[in-house]
Amino acid sequence: MIKKLFTPKNLRNLVIIMVVVGVLFLAISGYLTPIFSFSVSPFISAQSWLSQRYLAFSDFFNSPRDMATLRSENARLENEVAMLQSEIVALQENLAQSDILYTLLDFARTNPEHEYVAATVIGREVTPYLQYIIIDKGSNDGLRHGMPVVTQQGLVGRIDALISNAARIQLITDANSTVNVKLQTAGVEGLVRGSVTGEITLDMVPVDTEVQIGDVLMTSGLGGTYPPNIFVGQILTMQSKQNVLFQTGSIQPVVDFTNLSAVLVITNFDSVDISPLVP
Amino acid sequence: MLSYLIGFAGFALAFMLQMSVFSQWQILSGSADIVLLFVIAWCLYDRSKRLWLLVLIMAWIVGAISALPIWIPMVVYFVVYQVSRVFQARLMQSPLLGMILLTFGTSLLQMVLNLIYLFVTRVDINFSRILVEVALPSLLLNMLLAIPVHAVVREIANYAFPKGVEA
Repeated sequence: MIKKLFTPKNLRNLVIIMVVVGVLFLAISGYLTPIFSFSVSPFISAQSWLSQRYLAFSDFFNSPRDMATLRSENARLENEVAMLQSEIVALQENLAQSDILYTLLDFARTNPEHEYVAATVIGREVTPYLQYIIIDKGSNDGLRHGMPVVTQQGLVGRIDALISNAARIQLITDANSTVNVKLQTAGVEGLVRGSVTGEITLDMVPVDTEVQIGDVLMTSGLGGTYPPNIFVGQILTMQSKQNVLFQTGSIQPVVDFTNLSAVLVITNFDSVDISPLVP
Repeated sequence: MLSYLIGFAGFALAFMLQMSVFSQWQILSGSADIVLLFVIAWCLYDRSKRLWLLVLIMAWIVGAISALPIWIPMVVYFVVYQVSRVFQARLMQSPLLGMILLTFGTSLLQMVLNLIYLFVTRVDINFSRILVEVALPSLLLNMLLAIPVHAVVREIANYAFPKGVEA
């Protein structure tokens, strides 16, 4: 039986199996790595050389098509970026407009004694000698001639002319504009005049009044042109010459007239036209 | 007819640009008057017989929308029209020279008329200050913008008057 088992054929198979298992064991243990590396490297070099040549050959034929695809893709992405950027600009614009409107709304809520119509500034006077703006609301929106116009900061002016869907506002900086004011600290009244250069000055303040620099000016309501207690500006400097009855001063307006973009029109105030009474 | 339409469209565009953009481009308190510059340039190129009617309509529109009394643009634009006719006859080869001379002259005329109006309405006028802060900066801006406006109008005029345009 044993003699039958150890035939030459079986012994040869056994030796082969043991050699294979041994080689596998050595390979798994890592003892054969240097031999493998040494023996495989020529094949890898050859494979690499062949692969590079093939890729170069393939690129030679395929790259123009890829370039065209990439270019069109790039153009599409650039368009998309431009579109998104313009969208961002539009949204930022809307945000800025919303901020202004929210501020105006806050002002309207904190001054509930008046009714307001919000309007956007759509134009400015053609000539530099006059100070007017054009707004996008008119008689269709309930506006009337002479209605006062304000912002959240203070007094802007009054409606000078209007059509159905637009109105022209005379700013308080206009040379023909006068506003009756009172000085908050000094407690006296005066007159704020505009000028051709767009600056405003305080006039008609009695010469014996002690006026502090920085004193706040508010509308007095005299004359019936503007409602009382709207901010106009602050005193920058005062001048009083000898032998004159009144002192004058330069005013820093609270409203930035160069960057007006939205305004509020006070609709429940009827201005009084006293021009027939003026001699 | 086409030239009137093109002229009016150009005027409308200039007017909108003036109210929304150029009124805010200021040196001290002066600003350019693109509408006046357009009218000058258009009058120098347009040889239509009824151009005076178009100029009259333009002046009326400016007077109606602006706070200026209507007679100021009427007088200024009429002067522009009349002088441009003279320039067309005598300075045919150099409309740019006519443009610069008319810009200078009518800007000064406009200043004088505005001062007269303000004087009549009892505004306290500080002449030297107005000259330094409003009139001269406006004149400078008008002179600077006269050349580009002239170039633009010349291109428009090439379409409107293909035969009568100077090279």
